Amino acid sequence: MLGSVSGRHKSPVKGASLEFAEYRKYVPGDDLRRMDWRAWGRSDRHYIREFEADTNLRLCLIVDTSGSLAFSANGVSKLQLMKSLAGNLAYVAAKQGDAVGLYCAGKGFHTEIRPRRNAAHLRLLLDQLGNMRAEGETGLDQALHVAAESISQRALVVVFSDLLLEPEILRSCFQHLRFRKHDVVVCHLLDQSEVDFEFDRPMRFLDMEGGEPIMADPGSVGRQYRQAANEYLENLATVVRETSVDYQRVNLGDAVGDVLSRLLLGRQVQRQRGSRR
Amino acid sequence: MIMALPLAALPVVIHLVHRNRHQSIPWAATMFLRRANSMNKGMARLRYLMILLARVAAVLALVFAVSRPLVSGKLSVLGMGRPDVTLVVLDRSASMESQDMQAGVSKRSAALTKLVGLLNQRGYGSELVLIDSASDALQELDSLEGLLELPVTQATATSSDIPALLETGLAYLKANEVGRADVWICSDLRAKEWDIEGGRWDSLRNSFREMGGVHQFLLAYGESTPGNISVRLSNVSRRSVGEGAELVMDVHLERDDANDSGDAATDREVFVEIEINAVRTVVEMELNSGQATLLGHRIPLDSSLHSGWGVARIPEDSNPQDNEFYFVFAEAPERKAVVVSEDRGLAAGFRLSLGVPLEPSLRQSAEWIHPSDTDQIDWEDTAMILWQAPLPEGANAEKIRKFVGSGRVVLFFPPQQIQGNRFMGVEWSAWQGVEGESARKLSWWRNDGDLLSHVGNGDPLPLSDLRVDRVCRLNGLPNSAPLTPLARLAEDQILVARMGTDTGGLYFCATLPSAPYSTMERDAIAYYVMLQRALLRGAESLSPTSHIEAGSEQAKALPFADYESVAPVVSAPLPSQRPFTSGVYRQDEAWVAINRSSQEDAAETASGVAVDELFASLPYERIDESIADSSSLASEVWRGFLYLMAGALILEALLCLPSKSALDGVPDRSRATKTRERLA
Repeated sequence: MLGSVSGRHKSPVKGASLEFAEYRKYVPGDDLRRMDWRAWGRSDRHYIREFEADTNLRLCLIVDTSGSLAFSANGVSKLQLMKSLAGNLAYVAAKQGDAVGLYCAGKGFHTEIRPRRNAAHLRLLLDQLGNMRAEGETGLDQALHVAAESISQRALVVVFSDLLLEPEILRSCFQHLRFRKHDVVVCHLLDQSEVDFEFDRPMRFLDMEGGEPIMADPGSVGRQYRQAANEYLENLATVVRETSVDYQRVNLGDAVGDVLSRLLLGRQVQRQRGSRR
Repeated sequence: MIMALPLAALPVVIHLVHRNRHQSIPWAATMFLRRANSMNKGMARLRYLMILLARVAAVLALVFAVSRPLVSGKLSVLGMGRPDVTLVVLDRSASMESQDMQAGVSKRSAALTKLVGLLNQRGYGSELVLIDSASDALQELDSLEGLLELPVTQATATSSDIPALLETGLAYLKANEVGRADVWICSDLRAKEWDIEGGRWDSLRNSFREMGGVHQFLLAYGESTPGNISVRLSNVSRRSVGEGAELVMDVHLERDDANDSGDAATDREVFVEIEINAVRTVVEMELNSGQATLLGHRIPLDSSLHSGWGVARIPEDSNPQDNEFYFVFAEAPERKAVVVSEDRGLAAGFRLSLGVPLEPSLRQSAEWIHPSDTDQIDWEDTAMILWQAPLPEGANAEKIRKFVGSGRVVLFFPPQQIQGNRFMGVEWSAWQGVEGESARKLSWWRNDGDLLSHVGNGDPLPLSDLRVDRVCRLNGLPNSAPLTPLARLAEDQILVARMGTDTGGLYFCATLPSAPYSTMERDAIAYYVMLQRALLRGAESLSPTSHIEAGSEQAKALPFADYESVAPVVSAPLPSQRPFTSGVYRQDEAWVAINRSSQEDAAETASGVAVDELFASLPYERIDESIADSSSLASEVWRGFLYLMAGALILEALLCLPSKSALDGVPDRSRATKTRERLA
């Protein structure tokens, strides 16, 4: 993480921490204090010792508050799960002394709390999360573009949404965030029942984002529905891969702790792989 | 039916109501659903539309089938307005009593029931007029129920004449200047009754066409009754045998399909029960190619039984009207013959042949009268006149016409001197010799009936030995009655012929019996039998018993008020219907047996197409019916609507079936239920 102050998080640039990172060849202009004289003595070559630089974290939580987040299964709605995940993440970050910010991606992008580090800010942020309601159409694409522009320094951007947008729209959003050097993590809240579409009789499906109700006979459109859902997921996987975005699919039945573990451990593994490369 | 047409909108209404009755569920991923719908849109819409159309078609077909406003095959009938007058031409002939053995419903009864149902729906206008085939009379009916209840619509043993009935109907319509009329004809399409080849149809067709506004409907019950057998008796006579007596008769059986197939496989033995004075005898007869004849069947009688009646019966079959035949008998009166001849010698020969009876018990006599003394002829009691003289003219001709009209027989031989006299459009030409041995012999004679038929045991008359040396050609003028040859020489020279008459018999023999004309007297057997048969035929009309056909002029002229009804004992016909039904009547010593018309035993049926041509260019519908179908909902076209309904429902079911690919993706029912519960 690229921060402005020293902290607990590993920075993408090499710095002056105690943890050795690697050797590299000396080039004129390098600080001679970092020359490894012993190595010069053994091999008669000039190497510079590099150390990991520790930095602080700016965590920006972008949460989707469109009506579709009210979808629930097994008594748990996407919104509830999202609040739990975002709240826990904010708490952990704040306790580590990291700055946490919150952006709500409803239609019109109406809430923006810039990352700060004090305890009062965490309370404000949690209050804001607690009062959040799912309604209206999604404004995620606008919110991501606005966040990409408004977050001035590099930050860890965690997006909580069901991502019910065309993958190509999301691609431009993620590319924008990545272009601004943000580290992007996407928590995709999509229940398996929304993919399986297991119904045995014609039903009236009410659009949770306010669109026209749809009469459908699962017997005749079920196959096409599943085909459309799978195509969407494949396209989304391509987008996140190509834009180097961390992606986590979250079912409504998943425990919060498990999701966070997967999220954090997954990132760690990913970083180790990245550093080895 | 029009009132019920809005029912066709029922599937659409149900569809719309049903749309709002579906369970609603909040759904987030409508994006996928819209995409799925757009993928499925064209075919799914078409499928739903076809399902809806199939349901509407099924309801419409059901409405059409159940409402059955008319059983015609043509829907155009539905759109026609009501008539001012409805004429019902009802075929009451004996053949219309053919029944469906299971339902026990006759064609006539089924036709009337069907007709009442149809007219109830269509309406019959201000007047309902019945023309029944038995009486050929018009009768205005107060209500449709009259068609089912009135005696004039009940069963008869008559035959019908459809063109004549239509002529009666046409005359009525013209006389009453009717604007729009429906003519409903109920018939079984018997060929003889329709007289398809007859000349009356052209004028009928032209008259109806000129009149306009008349729509003909034919309720046709043309189905055949192949197993039906009819029984008929002929030549019933009582004879004294020694101290006793016996009844002699010819018995005829005929199966309806005898002319069609003559299939020996369907021939069988038939037991004919003959009942006289409550005494029954049974005769076993075997059908041969659908026919059987028993000539000269004898039944012993009590000598004290001088007259009486009886009935011949065969086992029940599809038509009860032809399973019985009534007969009457009485002691034969003296058979008187008169020989009118100029030649005493020839007359002696004739007298000798006529005066000697076939059986000793019979009383016969023959008297010679000179042509100039015809006033001396006993016209009342004479059974037969043998006229070997110039053909009668003037008063004599008129007397002979009346003589024949009363059922008696005249047999003409040519005079030795031809004088050019004419009688009923025929005249004798000059005598001419016959050259050559083969020309002198008979080349053909009619052996199945009339004067020269086979004898009782089936042997032919010995006419092959007859030689004719001189012959007198009989010239028929254009206006003469038709002559039916009974015997021919070579080169189609007629030797014996019969002139067509309503009653009695007029016979002509073109030679004389003795030399040098022919060998008739020498080979006397055939000659003798011919004269005896002519005398017998004439004597029948003088008999106190008479066998007449139901519906004939004789039957209609019979004063039934003076007659006692003897048979049938049970369900005796009403007095007004006696001329048309089978039965036995008695007035002192006079007995009358009325039986069905011989025309009714001819089962040949006209084809529907041939009948249709009779009404060509006229507004006309033929409605083919079947007695087995009378209780069914509808005739063929309405069954067609039922088929359409079934087809529409099957199509709807097929369209509602999920496709195989859809089936592969159909969720497990329990899992689907769980999904709904999770989302609830």
